[in-house]
Parts: sequence; C-alpha cells; structure tokens
Amino acid sequence: MSRRPRRSLAMLTLALGAVAAGLVRGEVFQEPDAFVAEVFGSKPAPKVLWLTEDLQAQAAAILGHPPAQLRQRYWSDARKSVWILEEIGKEEFITAGFVVVDGRIDHVRVLVYRESRGQEVRFPSFLKQFKEAKLAPGDRLDREIDGIAGATLSVAAMERMARLSLFFDRTGRK
Amino acid sequence: MSPRLLLLRLLRRWHARIGFAAMLFFLILAVTGLALNHGQGLGLDGRFVHAEWLARWYGIKSEPPREVFRSGHHVLTAANGRWLLDGKIPGEKLPRPVGLIELGDIFVVASDAALYVYRENGELIEKLGPGALPGSPVRAIGSSARTIVLRTPSGIFASADALSWRPAPQRSVRWSVPSELSVSEQRAYEEALAPGISVEQLLLDLHSGRFAGRYGPLVVDLLALLLAILSLTGAWLFLVPRMHRGRH
Repeated sequence: MSRRPRRSLAMLTLALGAVAAGLVRGEVFQEPDAFVAEVFGSKPAPKVLWLTEDLQAQAAAILGHPPAQLRQRYWSDARKSVWILEEIGKEEFITAGFVVVDGRIDHVRVLVYRESRGQEVRFPSFLKQFKEAKLAPGDRLDREIDGIAGATLSVAAMERMARLSLFFDRTGRK
Repeated sequence: MSPRLLLLRLLRRWHARIGFAAMLFFLILAVTGLALNHGQGLGLDGRFVHAEWLARWYGIKSEPPREVFRSGHHVLTAANGRWLLDGKIPGEKLPRPVGLIELGDIFVVASDAALYVYRENGELIEKLGPGALPGSPVRAIGSSARTIVLRTPSGIFASADALSWRPAPQRSVRWSVPSELSVSEQRAYEEALAPGISVEQLLLDLHSGRFAGRYGPLVVDLLALLLAILSLTGAWLFLVPRMHRGRH
C-alpha cells in the first residue's frame, strides 16, 4: 500500500475513532441519579441484588449472554422498584431506567444513548408499549413490542432490559 | 465455421478465463459477505483482532504501556484502550485507569468516570458509573482502614461497600500510584495490549476493498463488472444453443 492510501485509511480510522470517542459518553437525556430522585421524590439508599449462580443462569437466558456483573443495585419501596440497566444495542451500551410497580412496568426512560443510530427507542411513542407489561411464562413479556425500522438491535436491547428488570424485581421481592 | 459459432466459442473461452482469474476474489467476496450477513449472530462486532502489523496497516499508532499499578496480589497495566489485569484482558474500549486498590477479597480499579469492583478471582462484581460515585472525575483512589477512598473535585470520600459514601479525612490514606515499567516489561506487555480492529470492520474493509487503500474499492468495482460480464456471458452460453436447437 502506498503512503497516500494508508494515510487516508489512517485519517478515516482516526475520524471514526474520534466519533466513537465522542459517543462513548453518549447523549445523556437524564442522569440516572435524577431519574431515581424523580421516581421517589428524593434519592433513597441503594439496595443490591447479588446474582447467585442460579440467578446468573436465568439472567443469561433472558439476555442471551452472561450478565456483565455479579451485583445489581436498585432502589425500592414497598410497591415499586427502580432498575438502571445497561445493555449493548449494536456496539455501545444503552442505559435505561425501569420503574416496576406491583410486578408490572410503570414506565421506562432511556437515560444515556451511545449508539450512532437507533435513537428512536427513546421516544415516548415507543416506550409506552412497555407500560403495564409483566412477565409471562418463560420470562418473556406478556406482549409483543413493535420494532422500529433502523433500530432493530436497540429495540431488542430495550426488550431484554425490560424482561430483566421484571425478573430482578420478582427476585428482589422474594 | 459460422460467425455465431465463433462468437459462442469466444464467449465460452473468455467466460472460463474471467471466472478462473477472478475466482479467489469472488471467494473472498462470498465468504466475507456471508459472514457480514450473519455478523450479529456471530458476534463479529464484539471480536477484535489484535496485531501490531494490522494496526500499522490501518495507520493506528500503538501506544506502549508506560506505567503499572500494583496492589498486594494484583497488577494492572493499560494502553490503547485495553487493560492487562493479572495477565488477562478483561474487555475492550476500557478507560485509562487512575489506580488500583485491594481490600480483603475484592479489588477495585478506578478510572476518572467509573469504579470497577472485582472479586479476587477477577470476576466483575459491579461497575459504578458517575451516578454511583460521590464525585466525578475521580482523581485518585486509595484505601484506609478497609475502606475505599476516592479523591474527587468535590472532596475526599470513603466507602466500605462502594454503595454509600461519606466525606473522609485525607490522613492515613494509602493512595494508589503507578510505577514505571521497565523496558523489558514494556516489551512483554506491548504485544498483549496492541490496538484492535473489530472483525466486523475488517470484513467490511475486505469486502469493500478499502482494506487495500484508495484503489481497493476500484478493484472491487472491476470485480463487480466482471461478475456482470460473467452472468451475461453465462446466460448467453446457456440460452443461445437451446434457442438454436429449438428452431431446428
């Protein structure tokens, strides 16, 4: 390869790297702290759910891959719990907050979006599909979530996180 | 010999020549295309090829590791967005660490925006983002009386469980500080920490020809043209004799 093509490839790679670096922090729509405080009025002390081997296996079945960590923090009161979860859409993590009330999703919000495309999953018109969703047998949602053209992987990631939040809520209340 | 037969013979000869000459390239296009089509299922975007020659080919400058953090039982060095933690690579696209401490059966790595709490065996217990930290960016991490201590622009904070934080005095904190790597250590770690190219990116560049630089896509364009010629000559060679036989 001559110097010129290599330089142009390097420039392209550097440009992609710079874009990727800019997206690592992602677009923050709401800080997770603020989301928790909004749900409870103030930010309560976090609780933790330790993922035993059994829970790891069940979480892995929902996610399609082993959970990234062994301890999941959450916030809860008598009826509701809040879960801030992260899952990769295509290449980067999506951070979303899930509020579960009496075993059903009350509302969902995308807090940080780092992917370059697929941001439509943060729109209320998409997120409202999760309202009142609960776990059906097999730890699936009790409804079909309509996809978004061009955001298939982000939609799938949101669905996996919704299932996981309901599963964690159920487990945390046992 | 009739002109039609001559044309058929010519087409057949060149159909075979073009097909044979371009066979290797077509195979590359077919294999990379197939793999890319199933890239999600194969997890290609999460796999990386780490090789210094490949990084050089892509024009990516490889940064050698320069410093190392050591705690009682653990060693961490980093470069090119990768960590080498106790001889293992725990993931990709990781931030530059600012320190490493050990507390009983856990150890904690700090970057400026997150804490990574590990079990002694290297399993990640939890990654704490900015929302779970008492301040950000984290300037330094240390330990004091079985607590994790963080120095942030908002002050110094301590926690025994990385869940709740309280302001802490600065005295008696053992801050994690890096030590310089020797040249032989640098060489030993450099290869393991070579920058990576995702397999998906690599296949895309092979498929599109961009891997070969500016003229690569033109070669692929030429291959596309050859493929079009092959399909047309193939159709001609298939149909014309049959049409001719049909007339007799």
